[in-house]
Amino acid sequence: MTRDEVIQKLREEMKVSSTEEADWDAVGAETTIESLGFDSLSILDLIYDVQQAFGLSFDAEKLVDVRTVGDLADFIQKELDA
Amino acid sequence: MPDDRRAVVTGLGVVCALGVTESAFWESLLAGRSGIGPVTRFDAAGYRTRVASEIDDAALGPALKARKIRPTDRSVDIGLLAAAQALESAGLASPDRAPEPQEVTTIFGTGAGPSDSAFAGTRSFLERGLAGLRPSTVPTVMINAVSAQISLRYKLRGPNWVVASACASSTAAIGQAFRLVRAGHAERVLAGGTDAILNPLAFGAWNNLGVMSANPDPDTACRPFDVDRDGLVLGEGAAALVVESLAAARARSAAIRAEILGFGESSDAEHITRPDPDGQARAIAAALASAGLRPADVGFINAHGSATPANDTCESDAIRRVFGAAADRIPTASSKSYFGHTLGACGALETAATLLALAHGLVPGNRNLHHPDPQCAIRLVGRAPEAVSARVAIKNSFGFGGHNAVLVLGRFED
Repeated sequence: MTRDEVIQKLREEMKVSSTEEADWDAVGAETTIESLGFDSLSILDLIYDVQQAFGLSFDAEKLVDVRTVGDLADFIQKELDA
Repeated sequence: MPDDRRAVVTGLGVVCALGVTESAFWESLLAGRSGIGPVTRFDAAGYRTRVASEIDDAALGPALKARKIRPTDRSVDIGLLAAAQALESAGLASPDRAPEPQEVTTIFGTGAGPSDSAFAGTRSFLERGLAGLRPSTVPTVMINAVSAQISLRYKLRGPNWVVASACASSTAAIGQAFRLVRAGHAERVLAGGTDAILNPLAFGAWNNLGVMSANPDPDTACRPFDVDRDGLVLGEGAAALVVESLAAARARSAAIRAEILGFGESSDAEHITRPDPDGQARAIAAALASAGLRPADVGFINAHGSATPANDTCESDAIRRVFGAAADRIPTASSKSYFGHTLGACGALETAATLLALAHGLVPGNRNLHHPDPQCAIRLVGRAPEAVSARVAIKNSFGFGGHNAVLVLGRFED
């Protein structure tokens, strides 16, 4: 899966779990996750949804440094390759 | 009493089947409109009770959206909305601006906590095992989720916690707010309550307890103090008050809506579900004593009035014990025939109804009171609203577990 494909899939997941009225087509690697309306509770659901969507299982603690959509895509790619 | 120890009400928020605004709430009470209807939130076929007081999603959804409240659990969502309204009406928040940190204590009452989420999580776990448990489960279903979410959303930096004493929860929460201000421990408190348990599991547990009305007609199912009453009707609801010291309210030129004059509580220490008139009377007497008032000073009683056969006679007995002959003349009414029994929220919603009654000099009637129970030997308001000149009212709330909580509320006078 390319980085763009991962971002595309992430965008779909986020669209479902966020209630923020974001311009989802404009969401890219540089967009911060916080700006998409995720708070300390809903981010937990996003992590779960991402795990389900990509068939992954990882510790949420590993994501402490993830700030942007691109950061998250990089993390997912690494997990997919592992 | 010095101004920095008098506890006044400067904000009010109500969310229940009568509406999601204060004006809709009050207009329905005066018009004698009930919010009770057939259960629609789940399929209640096969249940003994099939009526409940449900909040209209068509009104709730836009009100949540306007404040960017992301739904998590229904009890938390409506609690957040009531809190938002209370803060907005007190001039402490606005849907149009991001909240700034402020020193406000948050105390919310809830009987069941996030019941829908607990049910959904349990079902998902039974169906899918560990994979069915979302990582957000713990912070979503914790009983203090509502006070935590209110504090987070509105940046209220005082302590936040919940009171859990069944159907006395939010009266007790407002009572704690009163005490914190009275003792000088807090200047400003957001106090209220919430409950929403209309899911098959929680409603089923109440169904099997046998205290709910089996009357299939929504309009007449809830009949407090009537000789033909046959049980309570559950409802979802939330309400919140901003309680602050008179000095703090004056310092920011806030409009003062009412004063909390006293609070008393007790435990029956007798039986887990059966109410006890002695315990209830002790709570009423303690509330009056804390306000420095005599029974004859009370001009209106907003009863717990749950419409169970046991409660209404017991409560009438308790009122008679404290008020003596004055019980023959103090108008007494229950609000539950309008929006059902909202459990941990009922005290806050009914406090709101009481404050509005004091302000308007008009007590909403005992809806469905056609044949007053002769064993309820107190002065009951009829079915129509009654004009009262009361300056002081009491609000009774009694919970399973034997917890009794009573507020003394007054029109604000300098």
